[in-house]
Order: sequence, then C-alpha cells, then structure tokens
Amino acid sequence: MDHMPENWGRPRSDVYGSYQHAIHSAGPQSHTQVPSITGTSVIAMKFNNGVILAADNLGSYGSLARFTDQERLIKVGKETVVGFSGDASDMQYLESMLERLIIEDNYEQDGHNFRAPHIYEYLSRVMYNRRSKVDPLWNAILVAGKKDDGSPFLGYVDLLGITYSSPCIATGYGAYLAIPLLRKLVSEDEDAKNVTEEQARAAIDESMKVLFYRDARSLDKYTVATVTLDGNVKFDKDVRCQNMNWRFAEGIRGYGTQKQ
Amino acid sequence: MTSIGTGYDLSNSVFSPDGRNFQVEYASKAVEADGTAIGIRCADGVVFAVEKIVSSKLLVPGANKKIQTIDKHVGVAYSGLTPDGRHLVDRGRSESYSWRGLYKSPIGVPILADRLSGYVQAYTCYSSVRPFGVSVIVGGVDKSGPHLYTIEPSGAFWGYMGAATGKGRQAAKSELEKLDLPNISARDAVKAAAKIIYIAHDDSKDKDFELEISWVSTSETGGDHQFVPKDLLDEAERLAKAEDDDDDDDDDEMDED
Amino acid sequence: MNTMFAEQFNEPATNHSTAAPIEHRFNPYSDNGGTILAISGADYAVLAGDTRHISGYSINSRFQPRVHTLPGEKPLIVSANGFSADGETLVRRLAQRVEWYSYNHNKPLSAKSCARLIQTMLYGKRMFPYYVATILAGLDENGRGAVYSFDPVGSYEREQCRAGGAAASLIMPFLDNQVNLKNQVDPATGEPKIATDLSLEDTVKLVKDAFSSATERHIQVGDYLEIKIVTKDGVSVEYFPLKRD
Repeated sequence: MDHMPENWGRPRSDVYGSYQHAIHSAGPQSHTQVPSITGTSVIAMKFNNGVILAADNLGSYGSLARFTDQERLIKVGKETVVGFSGDASDMQYLESMLERLIIEDNYEQDGHNFRAPHIYEYLSRVMYNRRSKVDPLWNAILVAGKKDDGSPFLGYVDLLGITYSSPCIATGYGAYLAIPLLRKLVSEDEDAKNVTEEQARAAIDESMKVLFYRDARSLDKYTVATVTLDGNVKFDKDVRCQNMNWRFAEGIRGYGTQKQ
Repeated sequence: MTSIGTGYDLSNSVFSPDGRNFQVEYASKAVEADGTAIGIRCADGVVFAVEKIVSSKLLVPGANKKIQTIDKHVGVAYSGLTPDGRHLVDRGRSESYSWRGLYKSPIGVPILADRLSGYVQAYTCYSSVRPFGVSVIVGGVDKSGPHLYTIEPSGAFWGYMGAATGKGRQAAKSELEKLDLPNISARDAVKAAAKIIYIAHDDSKDKDFELEISWVSTSETGGDHQFVPKDLLDEAERLAKAEDDDDDDDDDEMDED
Repeated sequence: MNTMFAEQFNEPATNHSTAAPIEHRFNPYSDNGGTILAISGADYAVLAGDTRHISGYSINSRFQPRVHTLPGEKPLIVSANGFSADGETLVRRLAQRVEWYSYNHNKPLSAKSCARLIQTMLYGKRMFPYYVATILAGLDENGRGAVYSFDPVGSYEREQCRAGGAAASLIMPFLDNQVNLKNQVDPATGEPKIATDLSLEDTVKLVKDAFSSATERHIQVGDYLEIKIVTKDGVSVEYFPLKRD
C-alpha cells in the first residue's frame, strides 16, 4: 500500500517504471533560452556637462566568475556609449548590429551622424520585436549621449522592450543599491545642472563599491565612460574599488555558514 | 582606336581573330574621357584624390561626391561612367557587409579587391551585358597594413604604390613616380595629391572642377576612411594652386625668351 | 520486465518531484503602473496621466509622460496604459496610421474613426494582446468633447469620463459620483440628480483631486500629473506636482 495520496491514481512505478521526465523537454520548438554568460548592473547618471556610466568587467557563468575582463560599455558612433547587462552573446550580437548600422550610416559622408536618441530608438525596436517573437535578447541596456539640441540623453531599454528616461538609471541590483545613492545628487533633470563631473564620478565610484560589497555576481574592477556635451567620449578602464572596508561582513547573519 | 572591330566589336563574348575583346577596349575609352582620379599608398595609409569636372554651374557645390566609402576602412575613387562606379561600390559594400556578418571582422583589402575584380571580369564574358566603364582605385588599411589596387574594365587588378586613371593619368603617373613612395607621410601625400590633380587638370579642355581628397590612415584617422578636414584640404589646394601658377609664370617667361 | 525497468523499480518513489528541470519561462508582459483619466465637456476634452514609470517596487522614472498627442491640425490625444512597451508601440503605430490617413485623404481623421481604428489595431492582436487600457480624447464632428475607452483587445465605447490603469478602481467610483452624479439626489424634489456638462475649470480641479487622492492610496501613482486639454484651438498642457513617496 502506498501511503502517499499524491501518488494515488497514477500509473504505478513498480509496474511501469518511474515517470520519464525527459518527456517534458520533447515538445514544440522553444525559442526562449536562458542567459549563460551574464554581466551584472550598469549604472549611469547625468551631470552638468554630460552623462557618466559604469559597468564592472565580470562575465559570470551562473555563480562562477568565468571572465574577469569583460568589457560591457561600448562606444557607438562618435558620441554615444551603450552599456549592456545580461547575456553576453546577445550583447555581442547587438554590438555587431550597431557596428554595421554605423558603417551604413557613414556610406553617405554627409556630416550626419547617429546620436544617442537614434541608437536608442533602434535598439528599443529590436528589443521589442524580439520579445514579440517570444525570442528575446536577454539584456537590460543603457544608452548615454546627447540629443540633437545638445542636451544630455540617458535611456533604458530591456528584454521586454520597456523604455524610459531618467536623470539616473541603473540595471539589475544597481536599481536597488546604486539608485538611492545617485538620486541623492540628482533627483530631477534640473538637479544635474548643479553636479560637476567630479561629484558625479565620486557617486559612481561609491555606487560601484556598494555593488561590489553586496552583489555576489560583481567585480571590484570596472570601466567608467563619460560622454561630455562637446561630443567627447572618455573611457577609464580597469578602475578598482578604493578604500574598501569589509568589517561589516562579520555582522552579516542569516545566510552563509554561521548559525546566528 | 586604330583598328576597326569589323564585326568583332558587337558582342562581349566574342574575341576578334587577333585575340582582342573590343567591348572591353571601348569601355576603357569611357575611362579616358573622365576626370583624373589618383591614389597614393603612404607610410601608414592611403590617400585618394579626384578631379571632379563640374559640368554645370547649376550643380550644388560639394554635392555628388566621387570618392566613396565601401567599409569603415576602405575607400574608393574611379574614373569613367559614374553610375557604373556607383553600382560597383554597392557591390563592394555588400561584400564587406556580408564578410562582417560571417566573420565579425573587417574584410581584408586584397580580398575585397579580388572579389570586386571577379565581379567586373564576369561582365566581360556574356553577350547579355556590357563591361564596366570604369577604372576603380580601391584602397584601405587592414590588419596587414595599407593597400592600394586598381581594377580595370577587363577585370584585371594590380596593386600599386601610386595609381592614376582618367584623362590626366599620364601626367599624374609621372608626377607620382617622383614621390618617395611608400615612405611619404599621409599629410604630405594629401598635399602631393592636390598638386598632382592640379597638374593633371587641363584648363583649356575643361571648365571648372572640384578637388576631392580623402584618406585612410592609422595615425591620422585611426584607420577609418574619411574626407580630409576642410582646413587641410584648403591648405593643400592653396599650395597646389600656388605651384600651378608658378608653372604658368615659368611658361610665360619661356615664351618671352 | 527488462533491465531498465528493473533499475528504475529500485528508485525511491518520491524522486520525480525534484528530478524535473526548473524551467525559466519567459514572460513577455510586465506592469509599469501609472494611471490615466479622461473627462469630456461641451467644447473640450481632458486626458491626464501621472508621469511615474515603475517596475515591481522600483520607480524607474519620475517623469516619463504617457499621454500622447497624435499628429495633425485637429489633434487627438491618446494614452495606452499598462505594459509600457506595448503602450508605446500601440501609440506610435497609431500615430503613423493617423498621419498616413491625413496624407491619403487630405483631411484629418475624426475622433470616431480613430476610435474604430484603435479597436481594429487592438483586436488585430487578439491572440497576443497589447496589455493596455487605452483612452482616446478629442472633439467630435460637432465640436463636442469626446472620450473613447478601450479594453486590451479592442472592446470600446464612448463615455463622459473614464479612468484607466493602476488606480482606475480608486478613481472611477469618484468620477461616477462627481461627474455623472450617481447616487446623488436632489433634496428639493427627491429625484436622482441629472448630470450636466462640467466647466473646464471644474474638470481640471476634479482631475487634480482625483490624482492627489489616488497618489495617497496607490504606490504606483505619483511624481507629476500631466493634464492635456483639447479644445478647438488645439492641445494645451498643464503640469501639477504629486507626492513623490
């Protein structure tokens, strides 16, 4: 007698053998993959002379720190930086799409060049169309640069095709850990006018440190990119978290090996 | 052309008894009738210059560019039938675009020149088509360095340190030979190119022309093909004009003697 | 019984509940919060929405306008609230169709026809719907204010007023009472009150009150209120600050 009611009424394992779960995966074609090599948060904020953004250099394979020199901020065109979190292969696919987009734009050497809003528009349509095929590109993306009128631009688009703009944006855990720190400086677009590049950089560095403290899929090595309103793009690579203090770690309870 | 085709010049796919393809030779005539285009292979790149004959004062200055970009790192200039050149550039763009799609890297210039010449050659083999009426100068910088090629209507392609096609090609070639190739710097090559175009230009035959100069250089453009900045173009043009005027003065003096 | 079955026979019976792979299924929808509200009057229509954009408990943006003006000389205003990627897409496709209509027919698209177009577009994706509550506002052929509201798959009707989105269930009963005078009785006659057109000033006050109250009670509503007003002179916009908590 089987005393487990959930097994009653089922084909008996002792007669038919246990249920073969491989049957589950035999079905119609399934597009939706799961991300494999992933990048964690990208964070960004506006300041009085442009936009600054940062992303660490880790490519994770699940919980394994697989690649430690992954570059996730890329320059697109002359004055735009795009930051990717999420799946690395989808990032590289989008990267090559963007590169070819820029090359085609340069065929007509007519002085026109793609600015951040154009690249943002393009990416958002690609992301939305892929989600509508239920075959998404598994990324959350920030686009930073300047608008046609010369003002700073910062936008977000993700695997669902969701888009929004804000003076400070972060993907992933950055939305919980970095945004409160960045919004202390810049809560409204207007506030950005009173923040210098140095202040913004300090807030970004502090945020990357907090993320390294608490995000288990992060690295203390990161890249900072700055787009200024004169159209310059500056990359600061292999930046390290400074003045870290891990004393707080002793006090952490509730998970890990120690029992209260 | 001295000999007449005697019926062997009416179709592409027919040789004359003495082994000539007249259609191809006629295509070269179209090249010789158009403005001069030159290419210079310099120390770390390639410089293109064309003498764009302005056929009407009603044309917008600076419009209808004759130098074009095939890929980030590859430029092209040609003499001959402009629409034929435009079509070949389109073909070059799709070749290099699909190369990037396949290999995620920029196409090598020799391979691109090879593929384009193969395309041109195919147009000499069939009676349903005519050959390309252009001589194309293709050049750029890839991971193995700077390259410069000329593709002729026959489909033949040759690598050069300095190349010239079009009306003034003879004068241009003899000027190119005087340069210190391929050691000349990109900046000096731009000035030399402007000078050569002015020398190759024949005032008595043609009215106005526009000077177009572009370059691909590791040091100057980071390996991208771009038109030279306006101040450099103006300076090169000013120097070329000054020299050209001097030559004219010399001629005058000689006449006086 | 073959050997394979014999082996499986020895497995613990409870094993299969954990042996199944954990599936990470992609959900093509999400909720980006926000609320919209439209009221029509004798010669105007108002469509207002807060500008907060959210995901889960996070505020993505405090200023992401969701009320859009369609192109044309006699503009209509529209908002598709819910899953913002669908909403934005619907509105931009609609804007394109409205623009093309004006080129093809050399006249602006009427509010009535625009409403039918929206229903066609929504129902066209019946099997993979735009996850949005849509409201269209403008002036009808007679110059009267018109408000049309839609469910996600295109069912629609013309109304005096309608709230949509996150706090629709908070605002709509208030509107029933204050615009359509539901459950109000004239003390003199004892008869139910008859609703009449509101003045534009009263409408704007009502809209602000509705959103201030919704902001108090709904976490997904706040930051700024954007009020767009259509009259025969075109579209005007007014902003009103809401609480940011």
